[in-house]
Amino acid sequence: MNHKRWRFPLLAAVCAFAIILSNCGNPTNNNQSENPTTPAATQQGVLVYGSGGQPVNLEPGNITDGNSIIVQQQIYNRLIEFKPGTTEFQPSLATSWSVSADGKVWTFKLRPGVKFHDGSDFNAEAVKFNVERWWNPQHPNGYRNAGKSYEIWQQLFGGFKGKSESLLQDVVVVDNSTIQFKLKQPFAAFPAAIGSGYFGIASPAAIKKAAASYGTPGSLAVGTGPFIFKEWRTGDRILLEKNPNYWKKGDPKINQLVIRFITDPAARLAQLRAGQIDFTVDLAPDQRKEVESDANLVAIPRPSFNVGYLALNPSYKPLGDAKVRQAIALAINNDQIVQAFWGNLGKHDSHFTPPSLNWAQSSKITEYNYNPQKAKQLLAQAGYPTGFDLELWYMPVSRPYFPTPKPIAEAFAADLSAIGIRVKLNTKDWAAYLSDRRKPPGFQAFMLGWTPDYGDPDSFYYPHFSPAATDDIGNWKNDKVTQLLNLGRATGDKAARAKIYAEVDEILHNEAVRLPIVHSQPLLAKRKNIEGWIPSPLGSESFEQIEKK
Amino acid sequence: MWKYIAKRLLSLLPVLLGITLLVFALLHLIPGDPAVVLSGERATPEQVEALRQQLGLDRPLPLQYLAFLEKLIRFDFGTSIISGIPIADEIKNRWPATFELSVAAILVAITLGIPAGIFAAVRKNSWLDNLLMSGSLIGVSLPVYWLGLLLIYLFAVNLQLLPPSGRISVETGFNFKAITNFYVMDALFKFDIATLKDVLAHLILPALTLGTIPLAIIARITRSAMLEVLLQDYIRTAKAKGVPAYLVIFQHALKNALLPISTTIGLQFGNLLGGAILTETIFSWPGIGSWIYEGILARDYPVVQGGVVFVSATFVLINLLVDISYALFDPRIQYK
Repeated sequence: MNHKRWRFPLLAAVCAFAIILSNCGNPTNNNQSENPTTPAATQQGVLVYGSGGQPVNLEPGNITDGNSIIVQQQIYNRLIEFKPGTTEFQPSLATSWSVSADGKVWTFKLRPGVKFHDGSDFNAEAVKFNVERWWNPQHPNGYRNAGKSYEIWQQLFGGFKGKSESLLQDVVVVDNSTIQFKLKQPFAAFPAAIGSGYFGIASPAAIKKAAASYGTPGSLAVGTGPFIFKEWRTGDRILLEKNPNYWKKGDPKINQLVIRFITDPAARLAQLRAGQIDFTVDLAPDQRKEVESDANLVAIPRPSFNVGYLALNPSYKPLGDAKVRQAIALAINNDQIVQAFWGNLGKHDSHFTPPSLNWAQSSKITEYNYNPQKAKQLLAQAGYPTGFDLELWYMPVSRPYFPTPKPIAEAFAADLSAIGIRVKLNTKDWAAYLSDRRKPPGFQAFMLGWTPDYGDPDSFYYPHFSPAATDDIGNWKNDKVTQLLNLGRATGDKAARAKIYAEVDEILHNEAVRLPIVHSQPLLAKRKNIEGWIPSPLGSESFEQIEKK
Repeated sequence: MWKYIAKRLLSLLPVLLGITLLVFALLHLIPGDPAVVLSGERATPEQVEALRQQLGLDRPLPLQYLAFLEKLIRFDFGTSIISGIPIADEIKNRWPATFELSVAAILVAITLGIPAGIFAAVRKNSWLDNLLMSGSLIGVSLPVYWLGLLLIYLFAVNLQLLPPSGRISVETGFNFKAITNFYVMDALFKFDIATLKDVLAHLILPALTLGTIPLAIIARITRSAMLEVLLQDYIRTAKAKGVPAYLVIFQHALKNALLPISTTIGLQFGNLLGGAILTETIFSWPGIGSWIYEGILARDYPVVQGGVVFVSATFVLINLLVDISYALFDPRIQYK
């Protein structure tokens, strides 16, 4: 048989395919400085951010996920913002603020002459409109019947209008540039809470115009921030443009901002290396090596603002004795565990609050340094010379504070078996894990962590140690701690609060019901030519200062 | 003929009903409550309960299922728990991306798979045949996730020839206004060659990744169909008459072998429309697959239910079309 003849059509087909393939890589002669397929980094003036996923919504006060907050940070301002890289306040839409002597009335002076992207005026009425939407279930523009819940308002400020738990009594327009919040009780962390990333101030006119669809793809998102919302392509990207009338003169530094949604961390890093995105967040700790091996990239740890802890439930008899809990704290080789699982992206210390809140920590604490001998002695003193059985629960999911829960739990178990505690490791589906730990008697010991809502020690302590928050550790209660936490909320003076929280720090250290294991630092990375990106410990920041060299 | 089509259409109903029941049951039987997941580590039990009521998750399961079904009959897919966006809008926006990728992948599979199958059949048991067939075995068994990342690292990160993900590059995409959301078509409509090239370049890697399995399957089916035809008497007659070899193969043999091949292509295409979850996720492709994946992660019941029902319905419809076209093109098949 002669096969040579029919090779030709086939060869032709293969060649055609090859030509199509190779052609796609050819430089194109459009009038752009860059050819779209050579990844020689993205175009000047266009900044591309690789987000870990699509935002839920661009409506302030109705979301809690990081992917939504970081986009909202670009579109909106809040009353107060934070000095880049810290948890310290600086003026934003409010130029100054003060609290009455009884701690119940907060007065904010507003920045004059600011306009929303749609040209409408920013003033006290606009602030009231936004706050009322979040707080007042009867507000005509809250669109709660469309399923909006503003859950985060309730979580931070006790409850909605008309409920006795509501911390807010009233919000009052004093004049065009002055707004007042009247509280039922003093709440020292109020500025930190109202300045958190959830509460961007949106244009009332735009909200009325878009109604319930506000903040969804294809609708509007209008603030006073550095970038103007242009388009949201579902599942793909969000396009933002420079706000030419931004009230911070000289910002933002770039003309266009593109937010790409890339759920898979490996794909995100590949995009960054290929120069398709300029900077990205939430990489896994074990990707650090790859970032550092690429000369075009820079790895950046975000300042820590979380805690991963091991909870010891005193309602389980052996753990009812503080000596036993301290023994466990001494038996775990935290430094080694943190080094092994986080490398230099995590820090162990004996404070429940992270290093960025060190102004509110005690300096008198003796660390529980790894000491199995002493741990054994304490166990013997408590009446368990041969140890006891312990069920330890580890989370089934990876979270920033425990990226790999199971091996970490195995390390705990190994350390504890050395002092005679026989650990049985358990896990459960994430949703069941979260709810079952609260069902009496709860888990004997479990791993969990916390990334708070606002930059104040209160946001770490209150949700874990106030009487209502300890159903997962057998309703553990310490009157002194309860009293101090309430005092901390009611005291305005920072120095006085620092003393109060230092005392809380000491009591909790000795009680050892939730053992701080790690304050981890999420891994971020950027390309070398990106400058002016200062990641915030609070988890998201504005990109107004970023430049492309 | 019409009777046959009507009968086939009616038989779809129980299938679709079964699908809805299965999806619903699977979602609701896995332990864990979306209300807990949605409210996260910080929520109090009361807040979780309130959310559960708001989502209607506190009602008995059969009632929830009936409510879901009743809405479906009115083509109301509900809205996403997380974003509050109507599922139907989301499908409308994302479907073109999935369709475009599936077409590209099936084109890759056809243009490479059919020639490979013919080669293998004509050179039966040669080293080439063995190579192609073992290659197809590998192709079927490659983990999609691994293959996708490998291609990204090879062609996008190291060689920097092709974009690693997405549908369109940043610069081109900034001012590109989609008309139909089928980007290739949109670019063609506008005679915008630069954009067309950009969009095609973005299609190559995901299409290769997604097309690998159908490519392998089509190659194998082509080989066996060709082998069967090549043994027929009329082929021997044609050869004896002195018809050139390539004409024998492409005109006489391939024409008759195309029937089973096109069936396979149809089925594979239906598969692709729903099976692109991994590929779309790795390549950040804004289609139905990556959307279902995110829905699963977030426990967004309506998204997963709506997405899976839509994909399954597409699949059974394509199946039906394949069957009907089979009945039309193959004179040996009687439709009853």
